[in-house]
Amino acid sequence: MNSLVEMKKVRKTFGAVEVLKDFNLQLQEGERVVIIGPSGSGKSTVLRCINQLEPIQSGCIHFAGEPVTRQTDLCALRMQIGMVFQRFNLFPHKTALENVTEAPMVVKGISRATAEQEALRLLAKVGLSDKTANYPRELSGGQQQRVAIARALAMNPKIMLFDEPTSALDPELVGEVLLTMKELAEDGMTMVVVTHEMSFAREVADRVIFMDQGMIVEQGSPVEVFERPRHERTKAFLKRIHH
Amino acid sequence: MNLDYSIVVNKLPLLLEGCWVTLEISFFSLLLGMVFGTAGALCRLSANPVLNRLAFLYVWIIRGTPVMVQLFILYFGLPQLGIKLSSMTAGVFGLAVNTGAYITEIIRAGIQAVDKGQLEASMSLGMNYRQSMTRIIGPQAAKICIPPLVNQYIMTLKNSSIASLVTITELFRTGEQIIYTTFRSFEVYTVVAVLYLIMNSIFMIAADKLEKGLARR
Repeated sequence: MNSLVEMKKVRKTFGAVEVLKDFNLQLQEGERVVIIGPSGSGKSTVLRCINQLEPIQSGCIHFAGEPVTRQTDLCALRMQIGMVFQRFNLFPHKTALENVTEAPMVVKGISRATAEQEALRLLAKVGLSDKTANYPRELSGGQQQRVAIARALAMNPKIMLFDEPTSALDPELVGEVLLTMKELAEDGMTMVVVTHEMSFAREVADRVIFMDQGMIVEQGSPVEVFERPRHERTKAFLKRIHH
Repeated sequence: MNLDYSIVVNKLPLLLEGCWVTLEISFFSLLLGMVFGTAGALCRLSANPVLNRLAFLYVWIIRGTPVMVQLFILYFGLPQLGIKLSSMTAGVFGLAVNTGAYITEIIRAGIQAVDKGQLEASMSLGMNYRQSMTRIIGPQAAKICIPPLVNQYIMTLKNSSIASLVTITELFRTGEQIIYTTFRSFEVYTVVAVLYLIMNSIFMIAADKLEKGLARR
C-alpha cells in the first residue's frame, strides 16, 4: 500500500487565524476517510489544501509520492483529484451532459464523441440518464450533486474529496447522494469525506478523523471513534450531534 | 410661432449622412473600447501589481476628466508634441479610450459577480486560468454585463456628438452647418434629437431581444 496523500506539519492561516496547526495526515490508496468535527475546525481546509485551492504557509504536502512545490503543475495535479463541493458549483450555462464533458474536452483534449460516451456512462452510474439535457437549475439539489460527482469522475481521478456534499440538501434528498457515494466506495475509490452524516461514516469509512481547532483530536475505525471515544472533546461533539 | 420643417426635410439626405458618420464613430470606438475594457478588467483583476496599478490609473484618470478635454488633448494638444492625428482617428481613439475606462469597471464587476465557486470548480477539474475565464467565468460574466454595457453603448453613441468639436462632420455638426445657412435652430436641433433617439432605440430594442434570448438559456 502506497501513501497517496501525505501532509506533514502543514500550517494554514487566514490572516491572524490559524486554521491548521502542524497538521499531519497520511492517506493510503483505496482508503475511505471521513473527517468530522465542529464548524471552523479546519475540516474543509484540509481538503482545499490537498488540491491546492488554498496555499499553505508552511509544511509540505506529497501527492502520489511527489512533493508539491512551486514548480508543480497545479493543473496536472488537480486533474488527479476530484472535488465535490457543498454548493455543487455546477456550471449553470451548461447542461448536465456538458458539465461532465467540459473538463475532459478542454483540459485533456478528448474528442466530443468520446467525452460524451464516457459522460453518458457516468450519468447513468449516478442514476441520471434521463436528465442529461437538463440545465442545473432544472434539477433538484440531489440531482445537481450527483451531476457534480459525475463531473469530477469524468477526469478519472485517483482520489475524490467531498466537502460536506449533503449539507446544502433538503433532508429527503440526502439519501440519493449518499447512495451514489457508497457505490463509489464499493468500486474502490480513495475518498476523503467531510460530513455530518454519521451513519455514512459508520457504514463506509475505514477511518474516522475527529478534528477540532485545526488539529486531529483523535482518529480510528468508526467503532473506536463512535463507540469508545477517548477524548472529552470528541465525546462532547458526538453527544451534541446525536441530539 | 413660425416653424417650418420643410427646410429640414430638404436637408434630410445630409442629416442621414451625418447619422452614418455618427454610427461609424460609435461602432469603431465601442469596438476598440471593448478591447480596452476587457484588457483593463483583466489587468484590474490580475495578481500582477504593475498591471493592476496601470489599469487603476487608466480608469481613475479617464473617469475623472471630461471626455471633451480628452479629445482636445488628442486633437489639438498632441500636434505640439509632433503627433498629428486626423480628426477621425483622434475622435474614435479618444472616445474608445473614454468608454474603455467605463467598460473596464463594468466587466470587472461582472467577473466579480460570478460565484467564486465557479472558478474553484473549474480549477479543481484541472482547468488553467485562461480556460476557466473563457469557458466558465466569461460566458456567465457576459450575461451579467449586458444591461450596464447597453447603457454604456448608448452613452457612447450620444457622446459621439462631442466629436463634432474635433471637426468630424457627424450628425450634430451636420445639423449645425445646416443652421448656419438656414437659421432654423429649433427645427434642426429637434430633428437631430429625434435621429439620435431613433438610432438608440433601434439599438435598445436589439439589446432587449438579445438579453431575453440569453435569459431563456
